[in-house]
Amino acid sequence: MLAIERLQRTILRQSCDRPPVIPQIFAHAAKVAGRSVDDYLASAATAAECQLAAWRHYGLDAIFAVLDLTIEAESLGGTVIRHPGIYPAISDPPFTPDRDFSRLAPPDPATAGRMPAVVEMVARMRAGVGDAAAVIGLVQGPMTGAVQFVGMQRALFLAIDEPDRFVHLLDYATEVARSFGSAQLAAGADIVLVFDPAASPEIVPAGLFRELVGPRVAHLAASFKQAGAKANWLHIAGQTAAILPLYSSFGFDIGNVDYCVDLDTVLETLGEDSLCLDGNIKPLSFVTDSADSIRQTADALLARFDGRGGFILSSGCEIPPEAEEANVAALVAAARDWKKGRR
Amino acid sequence: MVDIMDSAFDALVASLVEGEREHCLALVGELIAKGRQPAEIVTDGIEVAMGALDRKCTAEQFNLLEIMLAGRAVMAVIHRLFPGDADLPNPRATVIAAVLEGDIHDIGKSILKILLTGAHIKVIDCGKDTPVAAVVKAAAESGAVAVCLTGLISSVIPLVRQVKPALGAAGLSHVKVLAGGAALKQCTADALAVDFVGQTAFDAVHYVGALLDGVYAGH
Repeated sequence: MLAIERLQRTILRQSCDRPPVIPQIFAHAAKVAGRSVDDYLASAATAAECQLAAWRHYGLDAIFAVLDLTIEAESLGGTVIRHPGIYPAISDPPFTPDRDFSRLAPPDPATAGRMPAVVEMVARMRAGVGDAAAVIGLVQGPMTGAVQFVGMQRALFLAIDEPDRFVHLLDYATEVARSFGSAQLAAGADIVLVFDPAASPEIVPAGLFRELVGPRVAHLAASFKQAGAKANWLHIAGQTAAILPLYSSFGFDIGNVDYCVDLDTVLETLGEDSLCLDGNIKPLSFVTDSADSIRQTADALLARFDGRGGFILSSGCEIPPEAEEANVAALVAAARDWKKGRR
Repeated sequence: MVDIMDSAFDALVASLVEGEREHCLALVGELIAKGRQPAEIVTDGIEVAMGALDRKCTAEQFNLLEIMLAGRAVMAVIHRLFPGDADLPNPRATVIAAVLEGDIHDIGKSILKILLTGAHIKVIDCGKDTPVAAVVKAAAESGAVAVCLTGLISSVIPLVRQVKPALGAAGLSHVKVLAGGAALKQCTADALAVDFVGQTAFDAVHYVGALLDGVYAGH
């Protein structure tokens, strides 16, 4: 069974040969390929090679065309700080909150900053895996874009002090994501992950997510489906049990569950909701724990979802670049060895 | 008269918890006009409000936006009561807050600073992307009782492990080391070689409070 078919059948709760396994591997792929994180971050060609090496090494169902998480903000003129061996971070956001966001056009993914590098990475990975694995792109979701574009504190205060201006900022971040994600789909991505950790109930109240962020991620989901996405995937970190039941109504097929979320609560809250879940092993445990421990946790997760189906075995969030390869391999082996899951 | 004052403080507490900065400042102005002293407003207003916020924000319902709004209101009131001084007078203790080298995500540290200040504890902010040596130096110079480290990315973990030994080498083994933030809270205290790992910023405030009350003294 092809990986994308396995993924789509899992989303539809149809029978599969085994559960999909899609650990969130970004720069950890460099370690697998014997390259440095700096090499990975510096070149789309190298990053794509590393992702393909990780796919071959682990036997993954999908790989991520992700360099780092500063692409959009940097392409808009934000300042990015780089330290050897770790991901870059935004030191100065591109805009001040008083900007008229209703008059801004999104950057052109063909020319702006490192957006073309990500699009190139998607194309290289698509060519490398053919139809043997899914290629997943990534955009910053509306709330995370808003936070990155003006800074966390400023964005949150703007939401309260000047809600109209904040809505324009959210709309602009949504348009940046739509444009960038569409370019990734055109380059061959199967899915564009909407990465919106700043929309977590740990950051903003669930009501703000439902009323302001929700309609905008729904717009992204509809746009990506129209642009050819095979599924829609929303990633929000932290305690998301209160908002997970909204994901399907916003057009998402898959939602991640972070390690800190109580699965009993999630399953009870979701009820008959068809949302496919991915998760939820603690990311740092891939650095600190043993392969046996990861295997046990993964087996327990698969057993737990055996009756429900609609589950992708994964980490709760990104697997750290320095993770032990044996631990990731143990995760993949758990899915590949799983015999009972037939839904 | 007592009832009127109680209700005035109740209103201030409620307004602080809701993060209504301008309303809080107006209420403080009324209290001062009625002869209340800044120290009373701190004790019966700010500290009570921080306690209420603490009870409201459990690990499952920890909401950064609400805390930031309340924190902004608290800091505005402090600046009104003590113009030109970011700290409360006569703090219970001094604590160092820092984000270590390689990590520039400091929103967690900012929240912690607000909560500790609201708990009447002086915070020396070493900033982000900070070398371990700078943290030790600040602790030595300030007589701090604790060092609070926040970290969003796992690459700072090796540096976190260096802090306690570095403090010990500087003759500061009595200084407690606390850790928190998205990456660090996934670890145990033993794994980080620290005294305490908090799941939220309030956990760190509780730990420092207990430390000052003698619960952790000498341990």
